[in-house]
Amino acid sequence: MSNLEDDLRLALRREEPSLDFAERVLARLSEPPAVPTWRQRWAVLMRPPRLQWAAVAVVLSVLIPAGTVQYQKELRYRAEGERAKAQLLFAVRVAGSRLHQAQRKVLETSRPGTRL
Amino acid sequence: MRFLALFFLLGMACYGQALDLKDLDKLAAKATETTDVTLDGSLLRLGAKFLSADDPDQAKVKKLVAELKAVYVRTYDFEQEGGYSEADLASIRTQLRSPGWSRIVGVQSKKDHDNTEIFLKTGSEPGGLAIVCTNPKQLLVVNIVGKIDLDELSDLGGNFGIPKIDIEKKKPAPKKDSDK
Repeated sequence: MSNLEDDLRLALRREEPSLDFAERVLARLSEPPAVPTWRQRWAVLMRPPRLQWAAVAVVLSVLIPAGTVQYQKELRYRAEGERAKAQLLFAVRVAGSRLHQAQRKVLETSRPGTRL
Repeated sequence: MRFLALFFLLGMACYGQALDLKDLDKLAAKATETTDVTLDGSLLRLGAKFLSADDPDQAKVKKLVAELKAVYVRTYDFEQEGGYSEADLASIRTQLRSPGWSRIVGVQSKKDHDNTEIFLKTGSEPGGLAIVCTNPKQLLVVNIVGKIDLDELSDLGGNFGIPKIDIEKKKPAPKKDSDK
């Protein structure tokens, strides 16, 4: 037991850094970062992609064109609907106004005192 | 196969209810302005779907067209009188003389030379309405296939820019003193 304690004490004893330690740290800090070589740069592109990114790319390549097609279809549907609505309102307006005019004329002529 | 045949026959039956307006197509070449509205089946339902329920007029139209099968409008404006003749309308008049159709109103204005005739198809489903308006410089034919409420349609006609008419209701005659 006492041996273990001695070993620990020895291992964890305080050691003073060497006198040039601070100088060496400061020198390392002022050094420019290491520039990767062109080989290292190109090697990044050649690395196989991670599976999840490949899956995301595949899903997006399907979803984006499908979404675009669906959006175009929706736009066409809305345009057709608005055109049909305008035509329907026009037809009802024309039919309604002619019917209304005819009804008015019939009422005018049927009023007492109207010369036929 | 049977379903297809039945579907085809039903389609033909519905189509048969509409007036054949093909004879009017040739007038488009002579007219200065032409309007051709053909709303049948899915297109009519699509148009109705886009009508706003928040707008009171559009809500009324939506209710009115709920039971309609088709709507056709043809208008032809001519620069000069005589752009069309009665012979151009012969085919339509023949169809309107067929059983089921009855002429309910005919209004002639000698002042404006306007002639409006309203025909109603009753007796057989789905029913319908036809309006033929002739003027020396204008021709208008409307054909609505399906059940239509004429009062509501006329009411809408009054709402779209034309003042609504107040139908005079007959008031009971005041009792005279001598009657007592």
